[in-house]
Formats: sequence, structure tokens, C-alpha cells
Amino acid sequence: MAVIAFHGDPLVKAQALDRLQRHVAAGSFVYFPAWENGNANVIGAVVEADDTPAYAERLGYPLALAETLPMLVNGFRPQPEAVRFALAWLERTPVGADLTTIVSQLVLDLLANADLVKLTERYPDVEQSRQAIMALHCRAIDGEEPDRKTWKAARLAAVAATDAVDEAALERRAAQVVEAAAWPGTMRTVLRDTLNGLGTAELHLSLSEAGWTEENESRVFHIRQQAETDGYKAELSGLDRVLAILDADHPALAEQFRVRLDLMEESSARYRALAWKAIERMEQAPIAATRLAAQ
Amino acid sequence: MRNANEQDLDEIVMNSDKPVLVDFWAPWCAPCKALAPTLDEIAEEYAEEMEIVKVDIETNPGLAERFEVRGIPLLMIVKDGAETARTFGTLSRSRLDAFVDAHVGAE
Repeated sequence: MAVIAFHGDPLVKAQALDRLQRHVAAGSFVYFPAWENGNANVIGAVVEADDTPAYAERLGYPLALAETLPMLVNGFRPQPEAVRFALAWLERTPVGADLTTIVSQLVLDLLANADLVKLTERYPDVEQSRQAIMALHCRAIDGEEPDRKTWKAARLAAVAATDAVDEAALERRAAQVVEAAAWPGTMRTVLRDTLNGLGTAELHLSLSEAGWTEENESRVFHIRQQAETDGYKAELSGLDRVLAILDADHPALAEQFRVRLDLMEESSARYRALAWKAIERMEQAPIAATRLAAQ
Repeated sequence: MRNANEQDLDEIVMNSDKPVLVDFWAPWCAPCKALAPTLDEIAEEYAEEMEIVKVDIETNPGLAERFEVRGIPLLMIVKDGAETARTFGTLSRSRLDAFVDAHVGAE
């Protein structure tokens, strides 16, 4: 069944925007949770409940896209940036746009990611799975929805390919991205899980290339924990405190930790890039119908 | 998806004609909450082949003891009144699908 933005009704869009704007103006727009004590995230602001399916149904977005939306908004910091994106999301979605294939399009974008391919290419079965699953999403975009058995066969092959990769290897994370994508775009968590998996795989790849290890991570964790116990540099908080401690006592680790922070920020930028890409894809979607035009 | 308690579990799960995936969970368990949408999807995917039944171990501690639940989320497959497989912890949708496929099968 076709998924049509705002069900072709400009009033639905106007009401959703109005509700979101009211929460922004009242200072009750938050990242998480969706709906609590009058505070609302990008979903809760519109449906006034922690109810992603209701958001998707009332506004005419694919459920998998709505499920991913809070994660996309979370990539925008500080909060005014999140507000800017959340408003753009509604404002730039054309009334009547046919969003039926948007999820598969975005999953395809994720599976074509160069960093991912760099990892999957090292394991022929994983790479073959990546290509097979991309082909299934392409068929879905072309309107020829593969049946359940076909998806299942591709999925089980992807799981088997992952199992052949060493558990500690970076390539295993890449294989898990392929696994996560092995579902039709109508599946609620397919886009969220694929994006999440890719974000994690890319981050680990870049951290590994920068020489940041699990041991480093563990050292910083324990240094921070010890400072909590001792009250060391308690006049500072959060990252400022961690950096001050590392600068004072572990300068080499401090330098590496700053690189790690930069890489984390880059990873967040990837989420933002996909967020804008999603809007662009919706803007490019064919217009199915609008109520005004039909009247 | 149904809920079972200490009074009706035998009827709903152990005497079921279909295989049953039992989800042991608790309201305070964040990984259980994270798994919930995945279970919803799996319930839809396997609607013909199996039932999914949820057991809140906080309100049904006797069931946690009976099935030796040592951690949650715990997923257990029951076929013909007997446990045939279990897995503990958060699972991706594809992994859960592979687990169900291996122990229940699909048309």
C-alpha cells in the first residue's frame, strides 16, 4: 500500500507543524523521552504520546522512517540545531509525496557506504550478501516487492556469512550491518538498526585507524571512576574534568583522547548527513495526490 | 502477543498446539524494552507458525524460578509442552529471526 505524506492533506501538515512549534516555543521540546510530564521529543510533540506508529499513521510517513527520526534528531547538537532539523523535516516534506520506497532508498545509501564496502570486501560471502540485499531493495524500489522467502534466504545467508567472521574483527561489525539491512523497508526497525550498525562500524574503523584501542577506552574509564571516588578535580564536570585529569597526569593519553572525541563528532556528522539526505529524498519523491488538487 | 501468569501459563504455553516463544521480561529492564519492537516484528513475521507470550517475572516470580531464569531478557521456545531452546540477552532482529527459524521453522 502506498505511503503518502500527510495523506495528501495540507491541513495535516499544518497541524503537525503547529504542535511542534508550540512545544518549541514553550521550551518543552526534548531529545528523549518521547512524552513525559508535558515534555516531548520530535514524535511526542506531534502525537502527544510515546507512540511512533501513531505518528507514522497520522502523518503518512513510513513506520521505519518515523522509528529512525528521534535517532536522527539526536545527532544535532546543541538543541537549537535539533529544533532547526525537526522543523525542516515537516516543512520540507511535500504534501502528497509518495514515500513508499524512501526506506529502501536510504538503506541502499547506507549499504553503498565506502567505509562499509572497504570492510565487507575482505570477506567474499559478506560482500556477496551485501550485494544480494542491495539487489532486493532495488527490486522493492522498482515496485517488484520480493516475497518473504526471498528475504529470509538472503537474511540467513547474511547471518551465516557473519558467523564466519572472527567475533573480535572489525569486519564482523560490517557484516552485522548487512544482516540488519536484510529486511523489507516496511519492517519497523530496518532503517534504524542499519544506521545504528553502520554508525558503530564506521566509528570503530576510524578509531582503530587512529590507534585508539579498547585498552585506552578502559584506561580512561578507570581514571574517571577513580576521580569520582577521590573527588579529584571535582570543581570541573563532564568532559572538561576528564580532559583536565588526562592533561595533568596522562598527557599522551590526553592527546589520543582528543582524537577520539573528534572522531566521535565526525560519526555524529554522518548521522546528520543521512538526516538531510532523508529530507532530500522526500523532496524528490513523486507527488501522488493532494486533497486540495482533488477538490 | 499474549501475557501469561502463574495461573494460566500451562494452558497458554505448555498446552499450545503451536510452538511458543516465551519472553521473560520485567518493567525495569531497559534491554527488555529495547527488544520489544523487534519481538513485535517477529510476531508479525511468524504469525502463522508460532505464538509469542510475555511473562513479567516481577509479578510472576514463581515462573522465573520454575524456568530457572537467571537473567533477562530471556527468550525460550516451547514445542509440544517442552522447552527446546533458549537465548539470553538482546538480539538483533536478524539474529532472533535465525534463532526462531532454526527452532521453529517457517513456511
